[in-house]
Amino acid sequence: MKALQGLGGWTLDGVQRWGRATLFLSHALIGIPKIIGRFNLVVKQIYAVGVLTLVIIVVSGLFVGMVLGLQGYNTLVDFGAESSLGLVVALSLTRELGPVLTALLFAGRAGSALTAEIGLMKATEQLAAMEMMAVDPIDRVVAPRFLAGFLSMPLLAALFTTVGVWGGHLVGVGVLGVDSGQYWSAMQDGVDVYDDVLNGVVKSVVFGFVVTWIAVFEGYDATPTSEGVSRATTRTVVNASLAVLGLDFVLTSLMFD
Amino acid sequence: MDNLIEMRHVQFAYGQRRIYDNLNVSIPRGKVSVIMGPSGCGKSTLLNFIGGRVKPDVGEIIVDGIDVAKLNRQRLYKLRKSMGMMFQNSALLTDLSVFENVAFPIREHTELDEKLIRHLVLFKLQMVGLRGARDLKPAELSGGMARRVALARAIALDPMLVMYDEPFTGLDPISKGVIVKLIREIGDALGMTSLVVTHDVEEGLSIADQVFLLGDGEVVGQGTRAEMHASEFPYVKQFINGAPDGPVAYHYPAPDYRADLMNGEDS
Repeated sequence: MKALQGLGGWTLDGVQRWGRATLFLSHALIGIPKIIGRFNLVVKQIYAVGVLTLVIIVVSGLFVGMVLGLQGYNTLVDFGAESSLGLVVALSLTRELGPVLTALLFAGRAGSALTAEIGLMKATEQLAAMEMMAVDPIDRVVAPRFLAGFLSMPLLAALFTTVGVWGGHLVGVGVLGVDSGQYWSAMQDGVDVYDDVLNGVVKSVVFGFVVTWIAVFEGYDATPTSEGVSRATTRTVVNASLAVLGLDFVLTSLMFD
Repeated sequence: MDNLIEMRHVQFAYGQRRIYDNLNVSIPRGKVSVIMGPSGCGKSTLLNFIGGRVKPDVGEIIVDGIDVAKLNRQRLYKLRKSMGMMFQNSALLTDLSVFENVAFPIREHTELDEKLIRHLVLFKLQMVGLRGARDLKPAELSGGMARRVALARAIALDPMLVMYDEPFTGLDPISKGVIVKLIREIGDALGMTSLVVTHDVEEGLSIADQVFLLGDGEVVGQGTRAEMHASEFPYVKQFINGAPDGPVAYHYPAPDYRADLMNGEDS
């Protein structure tokens, strides 16, 4: 009986959280047109969530590309197909690894920072102070961060993929001796702008939307204590990562059936 | 007397915990009113009623003739522009300088040019003695300075009402004295209604034109400073004198001590 009550309570909590998150999202989306005229607020947040995430994205992209080059070469060379290395690296990055890994890194670096910042603003009554000054904190604090995250994520994913392709070239051509012309021409022949590149962009846009939504909601919904903010930050990373992986499967099944 | 705020027959509970059973308070316009009471009696909730952040379960909260609980979001925000609030922990925006914190409500709600905003902000900072600290960040301020900046921000738009939530808590004696002086002088100089929520008896009584003492979900004592000191009502006497026992019991409700000990031996 107690287990049943627990399950009921857990379900009710979950449904309530979904309801709050949906209302919060609609409020934030309505707030976005209001900040279009104050684009300096968005630029400041693009710097915080986008520019400051560049280092981890570039470094990770480079190493992932280098590993793909190494692993791809070792497999392909057995079949005498090392000339397809550029295609393997590029398809892996544009279709999957670029959007997915960028989203996971984005959730860990920028998402956790967004949650902690908004949660601490709540805990220190900064959001309450804004409300009392007749300034809507969702319009003033959440909407610029939401828009910044949404805009930054696809650009970061594009950068991750670009650097990854270059990393694959560095190892495949520079170290393992694959012909540079073959590396680029296989990529040019095999990568389709709409089927591969555009679908990757769509994925990164969806991931950017979901990760940023989870991050700003968790911060805004956090219990206003140090423990509450800590839990909310953890939830952001866990929930956003799971959402990205789950959505990736759904989107991949829809795009590449 | 002309009252800015009227609270009538207010009942309110946080879950199972009753806060107010039948609260009736009238706050006179243009005066300094002080709400006192022990911790947890709902003093800050009262400010949240006035600001429309919390709605009572039953009763009316009338501010300047308007029932706050019945306002939609747009009209509530319009009313809030005529209120200022100083929070217990100052609640300054940590990414903005002192200047920008005070300028924040002016920038958000007016289209004034930068020169005029600068004059207004420096005027408010001069009032609280922190014109020279305009470029500091909140993290560089002491507790007392942060409260003064919060006060300057609260009066930035010259509101009709300024609410102070525990303005003296955690301050050293000099900073307390400064805040006492500022609340009194700013209220008098700008003709604002000041509503101070505090459990600091000495400071609260020293600035009050009117005192309300809360307890047991209602107002248990009310009057001027002299009337509160002269009161023979046991609750008022206990609170004003800081007596550890009285109508507010020293012990949290518990079973008989002897029986409790014996039960422990049995088990």
